[in-house]
Amino acid sequence: MDKVEEITQKIVEKFERHGVKVNKSEIKKRVDLLLNEFKVPEGEIIRTITNYLIREHGLSKEILFERESPLVKIAEITKPGVWVSVKAKVAQLWDSSSPNVSQVGLIGDETGMIKFVIWAKSGKGEVEEGKSYLFKNVVTDSFQGRMQINVNRFSSIVELEEDISLPPREVSIVGALVSIQQGSGLIQRCSICGRAMIKNSCPEHGKVESYDDLRIKGVLDDGESVYEIILNEENVKSLTGIGLEEAKRIAQEKLDRGAVLSELKSRLLGRYFKVTGTKGGRYILVKEVDFYKPELKEFKLLGEAI
Amino acid sequence: MIRRREVAKRVFAYELTRSTHVLQEENVKYALTPLGERVNRIFSVSVLLDKEEVRPDTNLWRMRLSDPTGVFYAYAGRFNSEAVETLLDLEPPVIVALVGKVRVFEGVTRKLVSVVPENLVEVESAVRDYWVLETAKATLKRIEEMEKKEGEDVKLAWNIYNPNLEEYKSVVKQAVSLIREELEELEKEFEEEEEDFEFEEEEWDLTELLED
Repeated sequence: MDKVEEITQKIVEKFERHGVKVNKSEIKKRVDLLLNEFKVPEGEIIRTITNYLIREHGLSKEILFERESPLVKIAEITKPGVWVSVKAKVAQLWDSSSPNVSQVGLIGDETGMIKFVIWAKSGKGEVEEGKSYLFKNVVTDSFQGRMQINVNRFSSIVELEEDISLPPREVSIVGALVSIQQGSGLIQRCSICGRAMIKNSCPEHGKVESYDDLRIKGVLDDGESVYEIILNEENVKSLTGIGLEEAKRIAQEKLDRGAVLSELKSRLLGRYFKVTGTKGGRYILVKEVDFYKPELKEFKLLGEAI
Repeated sequence: MIRRREVAKRVFAYELTRSTHVLQEENVKYALTPLGERVNRIFSVSVLLDKEEVRPDTNLWRMRLSDPTGVFYAYAGRFNSEAVETLLDLEPPVIVALVGKVRVFEGVTRKLVSVVPENLVEVESAVRDYWVLETAKATLKRIEEMEKKEGEDVKLAWNIYNPNLEEYKSVVKQAVSLIREELEELEKEFEEEEEDFEFEEEEWDLTELLED
Protein backbone atom coordinates (compact mmCIF):
# COMPACT_ATOMS: atom_id res chain seq x y z
CA MET A 1 0.00 0.00 0.00
CA ASP A 2 1.48 3.35 -0.91
CA LYS A 3 1.50 6.34 1.41
CA VAL A 4 -1.45 8.05 -0.27
CA GLU A 5 -3.62 4.96 0.03
CA GLU A 6 -2.59 4.48 3.66
CA ILE A 7 -3.48 8.01 4.72
CA THR A 8 -6.73 7.90 2.77
CA GLN A 9 -7.70 4.66 4.49
CA LYS A 10 -7.06 6.20 7.93
CA ILE A 11 -9.35 9.13 7.20
CA VAL A 12 -12.10 6.99 5.69
CA GLU A 13 -12.06 4.58 8.65
CA LYS A 14 -12.21 7.42 11.09
CA PHE A 15 -15.47 8.63 9.60
CA GLU A 16 -16.86 5.14 9.13
CA ARG A 17 -16.43 4.51 12.85
CA HIS A 18 -18.95 7.26 13.34
CA GLY A 19 -21.24 5.91 10.71
CA VAL A 20 -20.40 8.63 8.22
CA LYS A 21 -19.91 7.60 4.60
CA VAL A 22 -17.33 9.70 2.77
CA ASN A 23 -16.21 9.78 -0.84
CA LYS A 24 -12.98 7.81 -0.93
CA SER A 25 -11.73 8.78 -4.35
CA GLU A 26 -12.22 12.46 -3.58
CA ILE A 27 -10.23 12.12 -0.37
CA LYS A 28 -7.51 10.24 -2.18
CA LYS A 29 -7.11 13.13 -4.64
CA ARG A 30 -6.76 15.62 -1.82
CA VAL A 31 -4.23 13.45 0.02
CA ASP A 32 -2.18 13.04 -3.12
CA LEU A 33 -2.17 16.78 -3.67
CA LEU A 34 -1.13 17.69 -0.13
CA LEU A 35 1.44 14.92 0.17
CA ASN A 36 3.18 14.94 -3.17
CA GLU A 37 2.58 18.49 -4.39
CA PHE A 38 2.84 20.47 -1.17
CA LYS A 39 4.95 18.12 0.98
CA VAL A 40 2.66 18.53 3.98
CA PRO A 41 3.42 16.18 6.93
CA GLU A 42 1.06 13.24 7.43
CA GLY A 43 -0.53 14.42 10.66
CA GLU A 44 -1.37 17.78 9.13
CA ILE A 45 -2.87 16.14 6.06
CA ILE A 46 -5.24 14.05 8.15
CA ARG A 47 -6.17 17.06 10.22
CA THR A 48 -6.80 19.32 7.25
CA ILE A 49 -8.92 16.85 5.35
CA THR A 50 -10.83 15.81 8.47
CA ASN A 51 -11.60 19.46 9.14
CA TYR A 52 -12.81 19.94 5.60
CA LEU A 53 -15.04 16.85 5.78
CA ILE A 54 -16.53 17.91 9.10
CA ARG A 55 -17.56 21.23 7.57
CA GLU A 56 -18.82 19.47 4.43
CA HIS A 57 -21.00 17.03 6.34
CA GLY A 58 -21.97 19.43 9.11
CA LEU A 59 -20.55 17.14 11.81
CA SER A 60 -19.36 17.98 15.28
CA LYS A 61 -15.75 18.85 15.92
CA GLU A 62 -15.40 15.87 18.24
CA ILE A 63 -14.17 13.64 15.46
CA LEU A 64 -11.09 15.80 15.27
CA PHE A 65 -10.07 15.08 18.82
CA GLU A 66 -11.01 11.49 18.70
CA ARG A 67 -8.25 9.04 19.35
CA GLU A 68 -8.67 5.34 18.96
CA SER A 69 -11.07 4.47 21.77
CA PRO A 70 -9.33 1.73 23.74
CA LEU A 71 -11.38 -0.93 25.49
CA VAL A 72 -11.00 -0.22 29.21
CA LYS A 73 -12.31 -1.58 32.49
CA ILE A 74 -14.54 0.73 34.49
CA ALA A 75 -12.01 0.95 37.31
CA GLU A 76 -9.56 2.47 34.81
CA ILE A 77 -11.84 5.44 34.10
CA THR A 78 -10.34 8.16 36.23
CA LYS A 79 -10.01 11.25 34.01
CA PRO A 80 -12.72 13.25 32.26
CA GLY A 81 -12.66 13.99 28.55
CA VAL A 82 -11.25 10.66 27.39
CA TRP A 83 -12.69 8.58 24.56
CA VAL A 84 -13.05 4.96 25.64
CA SER A 85 -15.01 1.80 24.97
CA VAL A 86 -16.37 -0.41 27.75
CA LYS A 87 -18.08 -3.76 27.98
CA ALA A 88 -20.61 -3.47 30.77
CA LYS A 89 -23.92 -4.62 32.14
CA VAL A 90 -26.77 -2.18 32.77
CA ALA A 91 -27.34 -2.48 36.51
CA GLN A 92 -29.96 0.23 36.96
CA LEU A 93 -31.93 2.69 34.87
CA TRP A 94 -32.94 5.89 36.59
CA ASP A 95 -35.80 8.20 35.74
CA SER A 96 -34.49 10.98 33.59
CA SER A 97 -35.59 14.41 34.65
CA SER A 98 -34.33 16.17 31.57
CA PRO A 99 -35.73 16.06 28.02
CA ASN A 100 -32.14 16.19 26.76
CA VAL A 101 -31.38 12.81 28.30
CA SER A 102 -32.84 9.72 26.70
CA GLN A 103 -31.53 7.32 29.35
CA VAL A 104 -29.48 7.57 32.53
CA GLY A 105 -28.40 4.96 35.05
CA LEU A 106 -25.60 2.72 36.27
CA ILE A 107 -23.50 0.28 34.31
CA GLY A 108 -20.84 -2.01 35.71
CA ASP A 109 -18.22 -4.63 35.02
CA GLU A 110 -16.33 -6.79 37.50
CA THR A 111 -14.07 -3.85 38.43
CA GLY A 112 -16.68 -1.27 39.32
CA MET A 113 -19.78 0.76 38.56
CA ILE A 114 -20.19 4.05 36.71
CA LYS A 115 -23.03 6.38 35.81
CA PHE A 116 -23.93 6.57 32.14
CA VAL A 117 -25.91 9.12 30.19
CA ILE A 118 -27.34 8.59 26.72
CA TRP A 119 -28.02 12.04 25.33
CA ALA A 120 -31.28 12.42 23.46
CA LYS A 121 -29.57 13.98 20.48
CA SER A 122 -27.15 11.07 20.18
CA GLY A 123 -30.02 9.23 18.52
CA LYS A 124 -28.83 5.93 20.03
CA GLY A 125 -31.17 3.10 20.88
CA GLU A 126 -32.32 2.24 24.34
CA VAL A 127 -30.60 -0.22 26.67
CA GLU A 128 -32.33 -2.63 29.05
CA GLU A 129 -31.60 -3.40 32.69
CA GLY A 130 -29.73 -6.66 33.20
CA LYS A 131 -28.38 -6.84 29.65
CA SER A 132 -24.71 -6.46 28.69
CA TYR A 133 -23.47 -4.14 25.95
CA LEU A 134 -20.33 -2.87 24.31
CA PHE A 135 -20.43 0.91 24.72
CA LYS A 136 -18.11 1.99 21.92
CA ASN A 137 -16.53 5.43 21.63
CA VAL A 138 -18.02 7.03 24.68
CA VAL A 139 -16.57 10.08 26.40
CA THR A 140 -15.67 10.11 30.08
CA ASP A 141 -16.86 13.05 32.08
CA SER A 142 -16.83 14.23 35.64
CA PHE A 143 -20.07 15.42 37.21
CA GLN A 144 -20.37 16.60 40.82
CA GLY A 145 -17.04 14.98 41.62
CA ARG A 146 -17.93 11.56 40.18
CA MET A 147 -16.93 9.98 36.91
CA GLN A 148 -19.53 9.14 34.30
CA ILE A 149 -19.61 8.18 30.63
CA ASN A 150 -21.57 10.01 27.97
CA VAL A 151 -23.04 8.31 24.92
CA ASN A 152 -23.04 10.79 22.06
CA ARG A 153 -23.79 10.57 18.38
CA PHE A 154 -20.35 9.14 17.61
CA SER A 155 -20.81 6.34 20.08
CA SER A 156 -22.35 3.01 19.36
CA ILE A 157 -24.08 0.52 21.64
CA VAL A 158 -23.90 -3.14 20.70
CA GLU A 159 -25.69 -5.79 22.73
CA LEU A 160 -23.36 -8.62 23.82
CA GLU A 161 -24.02 -12.34 23.95
CA GLU A 162 -21.79 -12.68 27.01
CA ASP A 163 -22.98 -11.75 30.46
CA ILE A 164 -20.72 -9.17 32.08
CA SER A 165 -20.55 -9.67 35.83
CA LEU A 166 -20.98 -6.79 38.23
CA PRO A 167 -18.50 -6.11 41.04
CA PRO A 168 -18.94 -8.24 44.15
CA ARG A 169 -21.14 -6.48 46.67
CA GLU A 170 -19.54 -5.66 49.94
CA VAL A 171 -21.59 -6.55 52.99
CA SER A 172 -21.17 -5.62 56.61
CA ILE A 173 -22.79 -7.65 59.36
CA VAL A 174 -22.86 -7.78 63.13
CA GLY A 175 -23.83 -11.21 64.36
CA ALA A 176 -23.08 -14.05 66.73
CA LEU A 177 -20.92 -16.97 65.61
CA VAL A 178 -23.42 -19.75 66.31
CA SER A 179 -21.67 -22.62 64.55
CA ILE A 180 -18.24 -23.66 63.31
CA GLN A 181 -18.56 -26.10 60.45
CA GLN A 182 -16.53 -29.09 59.29
CA GLY A 183 -13.34 -28.30 57.46
CA SER A 184 -12.31 -25.70 60.02
CA GLY A 185 -9.15 -25.39 62.09
CA LEU A 186 -5.81 -26.75 60.97
CA ILE A 187 -6.58 -28.18 57.54
CA GLN A 188 -4.53 -29.73 54.73
CA ARG A 189 -4.67 -28.42 51.20
CA CYS A 190 -3.77 -30.23 47.98
CA SER A 191 -0.36 -29.09 46.75
CA ILE A 192 -1.61 -29.21 43.15
CA CYS A 193 -4.89 -27.30 43.29
CA GLY A 194 -5.01 -25.85 46.81
CA ARG A 195 -8.35 -27.45 47.67
CA ALA A 196 -9.01 -28.56 51.19
CA MET A 197 -8.32 -32.29 51.58
CA ILE A 198 -10.92 -34.61 53.01
CA LYS A 199 -9.43 -37.48 55.06
CA ASN A 200 -5.96 -36.83 53.64
CA SER A 201 -7.10 -36.97 50.04
CA CYS A 202 -7.94 -34.29 47.51
CA PRO A 203 -11.38 -34.58 45.89
CA GLU A 204 -9.66 -33.95 42.54
CA HIS A 205 -6.19 -35.49 42.78
CA GLY A 206 -6.55 -38.17 45.46
CA LYS A 207 -3.65 -38.95 47.77
CA VAL A 208 -1.04 -36.30 46.98
CA GLU A 209 1.40 -34.00 48.77
CA SER A 210 -0.36 -31.45 50.93
CA TYR A 211 0.38 -28.30 52.89
CA ASP A 212 -1.15 -26.94 56.09
CA ASP A 213 -3.54 -24.01 56.33
CA LEU A 214 -5.73 -22.49 59.00
CA ARG A 215 -9.31 -21.36 58.49
CA ILE A 216 -12.77 -21.18 60.03
CA LYS A 217 -15.97 -21.94 58.15
CA GLY A 218 -18.78 -20.71 60.30
CA VAL A 219 -22.28 -19.34 60.61
CA LEU A 220 -22.91 -15.78 61.69
CA ASP A 221 -26.45 -15.17 62.93
CA ASP A 222 -27.95 -11.77 63.73
CA GLY A 223 -31.34 -13.03 64.85
CA GLU A 224 -32.91 -12.10 61.50
CA SER A 225 -30.75 -14.01 58.97
CA VAL A 226 -27.85 -16.44 58.82
CA TYR A 227 -24.63 -15.84 56.90
CA GLU A 228 -21.97 -18.40 56.12
CA ILE A 229 -18.49 -16.96 56.45
CA ILE A 230 -14.94 -18.07 55.85
CA LEU A 231 -12.18 -16.67 58.02
CA ASN A 232 -8.71 -17.17 56.55
CA GLU A 233 -5.48 -17.59 58.49
CA GLU A 234 -4.94 -13.84 58.70
CA ASN A 235 -8.45 -13.28 60.11
CA VAL A 236 -8.03 -16.10 62.65
CA LYS A 237 -4.67 -14.73 63.74
CA SER A 238 -5.99 -11.19 64.18
CA LEU A 239 -8.80 -12.48 66.41
CA THR A 240 -7.02 -15.10 68.49
CA GLY A 241 -3.30 -14.52 68.10
CA ILE A 242 -3.10 -18.06 66.74
CA GLY A 243 -1.59 -18.14 63.27
CA LEU A 244 -0.49 -21.12 61.23
CA GLU A 245 2.84 -21.61 63.04
CA GLU A 246 1.21 -21.45 66.47
CA ALA A 247 -1.53 -23.83 65.29
CA LYS A 248 1.07 -26.36 64.15
CA ARG A 249 2.82 -26.03 67.49
CA ILE A 250 -0.43 -26.72 69.36
CA ALA A 251 -1.13 -29.75 67.17
CA GLN A 252 2.35 -31.15 67.81
CA GLU A 253 2.24 -30.52 71.52
CA LYS A 254 -1.13 -32.26 71.94
CA LEU A 255 -0.38 -34.87 69.26
CA ASP A 256 -3.78 -33.96 67.83
CA ARG A 257 -4.68 -31.64 64.97
CA GLY A 258 -8.18 -31.42 66.42
CA ALA A 259 -6.80 -29.61 69.46
CA VAL A 260 -6.43 -26.49 67.31
CA LEU A 261 -10.12 -26.53 66.43
CA SER A 262 -11.13 -27.01 70.08
CA GLU A 263 -9.00 -24.05 71.07
CA LEU A 264 -10.45 -21.84 68.32
CA LYS A 265 -14.00 -22.91 69.17
CA SER A 266 -13.57 -21.99 72.81
CA ARG A 267 -12.29 -18.55 71.84
CA LEU A 268 -14.66 -17.69 68.99
CA LEU A 269 -17.98 -19.53 69.32
CA GLY A 270 -20.86 -17.63 70.85
CA ARG A 271 -19.16 -14.23 70.45
CA TYR A 272 -20.37 -11.28 68.42
CA PHE A 273 -18.37 -10.15 65.42
CA LYS A 274 -18.46 -7.30 63.00
CA VAL A 275 -17.59 -8.68 59.60
CA THR A 276 -16.99 -6.89 56.31
CA GLY A 277 -16.55 -8.89 53.15
CA THR A 278 -17.82 -9.79 49.74
CA LYS A 279 -20.44 -12.37 48.95
CA GLY A 280 -18.92 -15.00 46.70
CA GLY A 281 -21.59 -17.62 46.10
CA ARG A 282 -22.49 -19.44 49.29
CA TYR A 283 -19.90 -17.87 51.56
CA ILE A 284 -18.96 -14.38 52.55
CA LEU A 285 -15.23 -13.96 52.02
CA VAL A 286 -14.16 -11.91 54.98
CA LYS A 287 -11.96 -8.86 54.50
CA GLU A 288 -12.18 -7.40 57.96
CA VAL A 289 -13.34 -8.98 61.16
CA ASP A 290 -13.28 -7.92 64.78
CA PHE A 291 -15.03 -8.75 68.03
CA TYR A 292 -18.07 -6.49 68.35
CA LYS A 293 -18.43 -4.53 71.56
CA PRO A 294 -21.51 -2.45 72.30
CA GLU A 295 -21.22 1.02 73.74
CA LEU A 296 -22.83 2.19 76.95
CA LYS A 297 -24.81 4.82 75.07
CA GLU A 298 -26.68 2.09 73.19
CA PHE A 299 -28.06 0.85 76.53
CA LYS A 300 -28.91 4.38 77.64
CA LEU A 301 -30.75 5.08 74.41
CA LEU A 302 -32.74 1.87 74.56
CA GLY A 303 -33.49 2.32 78.27
CA GLU A 304 -34.93 5.76 77.56
CA ALA A 305 -36.97 4.49 74.64
CA ILE A 306 -38.97 1.92 76.62
CA MET B 1 -33.94 -30.16 48.72
CA ILE B 2 -31.70 -28.59 51.36
CA ARG B 3 -33.64 -26.96 54.15
CA ARG B 4 -32.61 -23.44 55.00
CA ARG B 5 -30.84 -23.17 58.31
CA GLU B 6 -33.11 -21.92 61.07
CA VAL B 7 -32.20 -18.47 62.39
CA ALA B 8 -31.29 -18.49 66.08
CA LYS B 9 -33.97 -16.32 67.71
CA ARG B 10 -33.19 -14.02 70.65
CA VAL B 11 -35.71 -14.63 73.41
CA PHE B 12 -35.48 -13.82 77.12
CA ALA B 13 -36.10 -16.67 79.58
CA TYR B 14 -39.30 -14.92 80.70
CA GLU B 15 -40.83 -15.29 77.23
CA LEU B 16 -39.15 -18.62 76.39
CA THR B 17 -40.41 -20.56 79.41
CA ARG B 18 -43.98 -19.50 78.58
CA SER B 19 -43.76 -20.71 74.95
CA THR B 20 -45.69 -23.95 75.37
CA HIS B 21 -47.70 -24.09 72.14
CA VAL B 22 -46.06 -26.19 69.41
CA LEU B 23 -46.52 -25.60 65.68
CA GLN B 24 -45.36 -27.97 63.00
CA GLU B 25 -44.37 -26.96 59.49
CA GLU B 26 -42.88 -29.54 57.08
CA ASN B 27 -41.28 -31.75 59.77
CA VAL B 28 -39.93 -28.72 61.63
CA LYS B 29 -41.30 -28.05 65.08
CA TYR B 30 -41.61 -24.52 66.40
CA ALA B 31 -42.60 -23.26 69.78
CA LEU B 32 -44.86 -20.23 69.48
CA THR B 33 -43.91 -17.56 72.02
CA PRO B 34 -46.53 -15.42 73.80
CA LEU B 35 -45.34 -12.51 71.61
CA GLY B 36 -46.02 -14.38 68.38
CA GLU B 37 -42.50 -15.52 67.42
CA ARG B 38 -41.88 -18.98 65.95
CA VAL B 39 -38.85 -20.42 67.66
CA ASN B 40 -36.94 -23.53 66.59
CA ARG B 41 -33.34 -22.53 67.36
CA ILE B 42 -32.30 -19.98 69.96
CA PHE B 43 -29.13 -18.13 70.84
CA SER B 44 -28.94 -17.23 74.50
CA VAL B 45 -26.21 -15.83 76.70
CA SER B 46 -26.92 -16.54 80.34
CA VAL B 47 -25.40 -17.60 83.63
CA LEU B 48 -24.97 -21.32 84.26
CA LEU B 49 -26.09 -21.56 87.87
CA ASP B 50 -26.04 -25.28 88.27
CA LYS B 51 -25.37 -28.57 86.48
CA GLU B 52 -26.40 -32.04 87.59
CA GLU B 53 -26.67 -35.51 86.17
CA VAL B 54 -30.38 -36.29 85.90
CA ARG B 55 -29.79 -39.81 87.26
CA PRO B 56 -26.40 -41.30 88.14
CA ASP B 57 -24.53 -42.86 85.19
CA THR B 58 -27.03 -41.75 82.55
CA ASN B 59 -24.62 -39.12 81.21
CA LEU B 60 -27.67 -36.93 80.76
CA TRP B 61 -27.06 -33.52 82.28
CA ARG B 62 -29.49 -30.83 83.35
CA MET B 63 -28.29 -27.23 83.32
CA ARG B 64 -30.05 -24.45 85.17
CA LEU B 65 -29.46 -21.17 83.36
CA SER B 66 -30.43 -17.64 84.22
CA ASP B 67 -30.67 -14.42 82.23
CA PRO B 68 -31.81 -11.10 83.79
CA THR B 69 -35.48 -12.08 83.31
CA GLY B 70 -35.61 -15.59 84.74
CA VAL B 71 -34.43 -19.19 84.78
CA PHE B 72 -34.66 -21.92 82.13
CA TYR B 73 -33.29 -25.45 81.70
CA ALA B 74 -31.17 -27.14 79.07
CA TYR B 75 -30.41 -30.86 78.74
CA ALA B 76 -27.19 -32.23 77.28
CA GLY B 77 -26.52 -35.90 76.73
CA ARG B 78 -25.09 -38.54 74.40
CA PHE B 79 -26.59 -36.73 71.41
CA ASN B 80 -24.23 -33.87 72.09
CA SER B 81 -21.03 -35.15 73.60
CA GLU B 82 -19.17 -31.94 72.82
CA ALA B 83 -21.57 -29.90 74.95
CA VAL B 84 -21.26 -32.46 77.75
CA GLU B 85 -17.46 -32.26 77.59
CA THR B 86 -17.62 -28.48 77.82
CA LEU B 87 -20.10 -28.71 80.65
CA LEU B 88 -17.89 -31.03 82.71
CA ASP B 89 -15.12 -28.44 82.58
CA LEU B 90 -17.34 -25.55 83.67
CA GLU B 91 -17.53 -24.45 87.30
CA PRO B 92 -20.81 -22.58 87.95
CA PRO B 93 -21.59 -19.75 88.21
CA VAL B 94 -20.18 -18.88 84.82
CA ILE B 95 -21.46 -16.97 81.78
CA VAL B 96 -22.18 -19.21 78.78
CA ALA B 97 -23.34 -18.72 75.21
CA LEU B 98 -25.78 -21.40 74.21
CA VAL B 99 -27.01 -22.26 70.72
CA GLY B 100 -29.71 -24.89 70.78
CA LYS B 101 -33.09 -26.24 69.83
CA VAL B 102 -36.20 -25.50 71.82
CA ARG B 103 -38.17 -28.51 73.06
CA VAL B 104 -41.58 -28.60 74.72
CA PHE B 105 -42.18 -31.58 77.01
CA GLU B 106 -45.72 -32.55 77.93
CA GLY B 107 -45.57 -33.19 81.65
CA VAL B 108 -48.39 -34.67 83.70
CA THR B 109 -49.65 -31.35 85.03
CA ARG B 110 -48.00 -28.82 82.70
CA LYS B 111 -45.79 -28.33 79.68
CA LEU B 112 -42.09 -27.68 80.17
CA VAL B 113 -39.96 -25.67 77.76
CA SER B 114 -36.27 -26.56 77.63
CA VAL B 115 -33.30 -26.25 75.31
CA VAL B 116 -31.11 -28.94 73.74
CA PRO B 117 -27.66 -27.47 73.18
CA GLU B 118 -25.87 -27.63 69.85
CA ASN B 119 -23.04 -25.45 71.05
CA LEU B 120 -22.11 -24.42 74.55
CA VAL B 121 -19.16 -22.21 75.38
CA GLU B 122 -17.98 -19.99 78.20
CA VAL B 123 -17.91 -16.32 77.18
CA GLU B 124 -16.95 -12.89 78.51
CA SER B 125 -19.49 -10.61 80.22
CA ALA B 126 -19.42 -8.15 77.29
CA VAL B 127 -21.03 -10.86 75.15
CA ARG B 128 -23.85 -11.19 77.67
CA ASP B 129 -24.26 -7.40 77.74
CA TYR B 130 -24.74 -7.19 73.99
CA TRP B 131 -27.04 -10.22 73.97
CA VAL B 132 -29.32 -8.48 76.47
CA LEU B 133 -29.37 -5.35 74.32
CA GLU B 134 -30.08 -7.33 71.16
CA THR B 135 -32.74 -9.47 72.82
CA ALA B 136 -34.38 -6.39 74.34
CA LYS B 137 -34.64 -4.82 70.89
CA ALA B 138 -36.03 -8.02 69.37
CA THR B 139 -38.58 -8.36 72.18
CA LEU B 140 -39.73 -4.74 71.81
CA LYS B 141 -40.18 -5.30 68.09
CA ARG B 142 -42.39 -8.30 68.85
CA ILE B 143 -44.42 -6.26 71.34
CA GLU B 144 -45.02 -3.67 68.60
CA GLU B 145 -46.22 -6.38 66.23
CA MET B 146 -48.54 -7.72 68.92
CA GLU B 147 -49.99 -4.23 69.37
CA LYS B 148 -50.81 -4.10 65.64
CA LYS B 149 -52.68 -7.43 65.99
CA GLU B 150 -51.90 -8.35 62.38
CA GLY B 151 -50.53 -11.60 61.00
CA GLU B 152 -51.38 -15.24 61.59
CA ASP B 153 -48.87 -15.96 64.37
CA VAL B 154 -49.66 -12.75 66.21
CA LYS B 155 -53.39 -13.53 66.20
CA LEU B 156 -52.67 -17.10 67.31
CA ALA B 157 -50.50 -15.81 70.18
CA TRP B 158 -53.29 -13.46 71.31
CA ASN B 159 -55.76 -16.37 71.22
CA ILE B 160 -53.59 -18.86 73.07
CA TYR B 161 -51.71 -16.69 75.54
CA ASN B 162 -53.49 -13.32 75.67
CA PRO B 163 -50.28 -11.77 77.07
CA ASN B 164 -50.06 -8.64 79.19
CA LEU B 165 -47.79 -6.50 76.99
CA GLU B 166 -47.05 -4.00 79.78
CA GLU B 167 -45.65 -6.86 81.84
CA TYR B 168 -43.30 -7.80 78.98
CA LYS B 169 -42.25 -4.18 78.53
CA SER B 170 -41.29 -3.83 82.17
CA VAL B 171 -39.35 -7.12 82.06
CA VAL B 172 -37.33 -5.77 79.11
CA LYS B 173 -36.83 -2.42 80.81
CA GLN B 174 -35.51 -4.08 83.96
CA ALA B 175 -33.09 -6.25 82.01
CA VAL B 176 -31.68 -3.26 80.14
CA SER B 177 -31.32 -1.11 83.28
CA LEU B 178 -29.54 -3.92 85.08
CA ILE B 179 -26.84 -4.07 82.40
CA ARG B 180 -26.73 -0.30 82.06
CA GLU B 181 -26.10 0.18 85.77
CA GLU B 182 -23.35 -2.40 85.67
CA LEU B 183 -21.69 -0.68 82.72
CA GLU B 184 -22.02 2.75 84.34
CA GLU B 185 -20.38 1.32 87.44
CA LEU B 186 -17.50 0.05 85.33
CA GLU B 187 -17.19 3.37 83.56
CA LYS B 188 -17.07 5.20 86.92
CA GLU B 189 -14.32 2.92 88.18
CA PHE B 190 -12.42 3.46 84.98
CA GLU B 191 -12.75 7.26 85.27
CA GLU B 192 -11.69 7.16 88.91
CA GLU B 193 -8.60 5.22 87.94
CA GLU B 194 -7.83 7.84 85.33
CA GLU B 195 -8.34 10.62 87.86
CA ASP B 196 -6.01 8.90 90.30
CA PHE B 197 -3.47 8.76 87.55
CA GLU B 198 -3.77 12.47 86.79
CA PHE B 199 -3.48 13.20 90.46
CA GLU B 200 -0.22 11.27 90.60
CA GLU B 201 1.07 13.14 87.62
CA GLU B 202 0.83 16.42 89.48
CA GLU B 203 2.96 14.93 92.21
CA TRP B 204 6.07 14.64 90.06
CA ASP B 205 8.97 16.40 91.67
CA LEU B 206 10.76 18.13 88.84
CA THR B 207 13.24 20.14 90.93
CA GLU B 208 16.10 17.74 90.26
CA LEU B 209 15.65 18.01 86.53
CA LEU B 210 15.63 21.76 86.65
CA GLU B 211 18.87 22.03 88.55
CA ASP B 212 22.02 22.56 86.55
